Amino acid sequence: MPPRLIMKKRRAAVSLAAVAAVLLAGGLTAAFSGSSTPSGETYVDGNQAAVLYASGHRALLPDFSGKTLTGSTLSPASYRGRVVVLNFWGSWCPPCRSEGPTLAALATKYSHDGVSFLGVDVEDTPVNGEAFEQEFGITYPSLNDPGQAVAQVVSRAVPISATPTTLVIDSTGHVAGAIFGTATYSVLNEMISKVAA
Amino acid sequence: MTDVHTPSEVSAETFGEDAVPGLAGNGGNRKAEVPQASWGWFRWAWRQLTSMRTALVLLFLLALGAIPGSLLPQEGTDPASVQNYFTAHPALAPWLNHLGLFNVYAAPWFAAIYLLLFASLIGCVVPRTLRLAGTARTPPPRAPRNLSRLPHSASYSVALPAGEAADAAAAYLSGKRFRLRRPADGDQASWISAEKGYLREAGNLLFHLSLLGVLCCIAVGGLFGYKADKLMVEGQTFSDTVTSLDEWHPGRLVSGSDLAPFSITLNKFSASYYTSGQSRGEPSTFDASIDYSSSPGGPAKPYNLRINQPLNVDSTKVYLIGHGYAPEFTVTDAKGKVVYQEATPFIPQDTSTLLSDGVVKVAGATPQLGFMGVFVPSPIDVSGELQSYFPAAQDPVVSLIGYAGNLGINSGIPQSVYQLDTTAMTQLTAKPFALAVGQSYTLPDGQGKITFDGYKNWVSLQVTYDPGQVPALICGILALAGLLLSFLVRRRRLFVRSVPAGDGSLVTIGGLARTDASGGFEDEFAEVVTELRAIHGDKAVPVTAAEPPAHEVPTGRAESQAPGENQTETGA
Repeated sequence: MPPRLIMKKRRAAVSLAAVAAVLLAGGLTAAFSGSSTPSGETYVDGNQAAVLYASGHRALLPDFSGKTLTGSTLSPASYRGRVVVLNFWGSWCPPCRSEGPTLAALATKYSHDGVSFLGVDVEDTPVNGEAFEQEFGITYPSLNDPGQAVAQVVSRAVPISATPTTLVIDSTGHVAGAIFGTATYSVLNEMISKVAA
Repeated sequence: MTDVHTPSEVSAETFGEDAVPGLAGNGGNRKAEVPQASWGWFRWAWRQLTSMRTALVLLFLLALGAIPGSLLPQEGTDPASVQNYFTAHPALAPWLNHLGLFNVYAAPWFAAIYLLLFASLIGCVVPRTLRLAGTARTPPPRAPRNLSRLPHSASYSVALPAGEAADAAAAYLSGKRFRLRRPADGDQASWISAEKGYLREAGNLLFHLSLLGVLCCIAVGGLFGYKADKLMVEGQTFSDTVTSLDEWHPGRLVSGSDLAPFSITLNKFSASYYTSGQSRGEPSTFDASIDYSSSPGGPAKPYNLRINQPLNVDSTKVYLIGHGYAPEFTVTDAKGKVVYQEATPFIPQDTSTLLSDGVVKVAGATPQLGFMGVFVPSPIDVSGELQSYFPAAQDPVVSLIGYAGNLGINSGIPQSVYQLDTTAMTQLTAKPFALAVGQSYTLPDGQGKITFDGYKNWVSLQVTYDPGQVPALICGILALAGLLLSFLVRRRRLFVRSVPAGDGSLVTIGGLARTDASGGFEDEFAEVVTELRAIHGDKAVPVTAAEPPAHEVPTGRAESQAPGENQTETGA
C-alpha cells in the first residue's frame, strides 16, 4: 500500500506511449506545455505556487455548504461582501500543522478589516480537527469534509491540487488569489492586503 | 504470421505487371543489394526497417521488454515495492535501475523499440496501400497463349462457336464476381482474363493499419488517461479529486480538472473465506456495498463492487483491488481531553491471516503520542507470541507499543501516515500491550489513555480512465478480421481461351493462384472447369485435364515457370 503523501499531485514518469506520441507529435506537445504565465495571473514574491488573479480573470467560487466541526451549518455565501480566506487543511497533514500559527495570527490581524477566515478540514474526524484548532489557537470555523466534497466542488473554479491550499476570495465571491501548498506569513499577508485593499 | 507482413519491395504480391504473371522481377534477394552511396545506405536501412523480419523482431522485443515490467516492481504502479527491492538487493537494484527496469514503459530503450515498430509499420503500410490502389485500377493481364503450361489447366471441345463459348464463360465468371478482361472488339481469338481475391491484400493492410491503430490508442491512453489509488474506510465518502487520491498518475496531457466529478460512499465491505480444506483461509467472495453519485449533489445510486466487477462512472472505471482492517481508537491526553478518535487503516502483512501493521499519530496531545500497532484478526498464542490463525476478524486484538515526544509532524515536512518516526520520542512501555475490543490502556506517568473501540473494514480502489481502451478493442477486432481475410482469401486468376475447331471450338482453361497459403485452389479450379463444361453443353469432350507437371514446377514458384510468349499476343 503506497503511503498517503501530503503533496498528492504527482506527475507520473513519462509513459511509453507518451514518449512515442510526444516525439511523433512534438508540435502538439509544445502547444500544450507552454510555460509562460497565463494572462491575468501574477506570482507573489515570484512564487509560482502563490498566484494572484487580476480582476476580470477571477473565477466565481462555486457555492457549497456543510457542517462545521462543531456541528452547525455554514456556507460561504453568507460571507458575501467580505474578503474570505478559505483554507483546506487536515490535522494529519504536516504542512498544515506548520502553517497553523500563520493562519491563526493573520486571522487575528485582519479580524477588524472585513476579512473572514474559513477552514475546510479534509479527510479528518471532528475530534482530531478540534484538537488541531485548540493547539494552534484557531477560532474561526472549519467545515468537516472527510470525503473532500468541498474540494471537488471548488476545483471547478480553481484546481485544488494539494493539501494545504489557501484561497483568497474577494468581496464579490470570486477567487482572487491561491496558494498551493504551505502558506507563509509574508505571502498570505501580502495577498490578503492586496485583495482587501 | 509469416504471410502477413510482406516486405515493401517484394512485388510478388502486387500482381501488377501486365505480362505473364510473375515473370517480371520478383524482388530478388534484397540482402544481396550492395549499398552504393549514402543515399543507397539510407534506402538499404529503410528497407531493412520496413521489412517483415524487422517488424517481427521488434514486436518480439516489445513483448520481451514488457517481461521485466511484470517481474520487477514498477515505479509507476508500486513505488513502495521498488524501495523494498532496493533494500533487499542493494548491489543489484542500482544496476537494474540504470537499465530502467523499474520503469520499463518509460525507459528510452523501450521507447526506441516502440518508435521503430511504429516507423516500420508505417513504412510498410503506406507504399502497400498505394500499390493496392494502383492494382485496383489496373485490369488483369491478357491471357497467356499457352494455357496448358499454367499450374492448373484443362481443355475440352464444345459444339458452340468460339465467340459464344467465350461469352458464356465470361457470364459465368462474372457471376462468380471475378474481375474480367476481354479482348477488344474484332479480336479473332476469344479469350478471357479473370481475377479475384483483392480482399486478401485489403485484409492484410487492414491488419497492419489496425495494429497501428492499437499503438495509437495506447498512446492516447497514455496522454489523456490516468490511474489512481484510493484507500477508504467503511462509512467514508471519497470524492474523485486530486487531493483525495492517495496516488495519482496522470497522463501527459491530464490535469486535475479533467477528473470525473463522481463520489463514492463505502457502506459496508464483507469478505468470506473458506473455512476448511486445502484453501482454508483463502477468500471466496469480496463484496463492497457502495453508493455513488456521478456529480456533486447528484442522486446516489447503489452498487456492489466486487473483484472483476468494476464500477463504470462517466467512462472512469473503479476497481476493488484490496481490503484490510482499520481499528478504531480513542486517545485522551494527560488532561483527560479526547484528542484523537479515528478508524486508522492498518496494512496487511500476511494475506492469509491479515495480520496487519499500522501506526497511530496523536498530534493533538501534549506531548505528542505515537503508537506502533499490530492488528490480529483471529488471535492465537504461539509460545507467548500473538499470531493470527484466520483472516476473518473473529475476536480481534491489537498489540501496541506507545511513544511520547515529538512526532516531527509539525515541521511541515511530509511524512507517511503508515510510519512512525521515533527519533525524538521515548518508548512508554518496555513491552507491547494487547487490547481486545472495548478495552483501554492507561499510559504510564499519567500521559493519557488509549481505547480500542472496535474496527472497520477498508478497501483500496483503483480508479482508471483510459480513453484509448474501447478504440483499442475495436482495432484489435479489426486486426483479427484483417488477418483472417488475408489468410482465407487467395488471389487467383483464371484464363479461358476458345478457338474454332471443327464444327465447334476448343476451350482451354488455365488457373493460377498467386497466394494459396490455405490451399484449396485446386478444388476451386476443378469446380470451375466442371461448371463451365456443364454450361458449354453436354457435347463437351475432354481433351486433356492436365495437372501441373510437378517436376517442372517447384513449390511456390509456379508463376516463374509460366511462358512468356504472350507478349506477342496475336490478333490484338
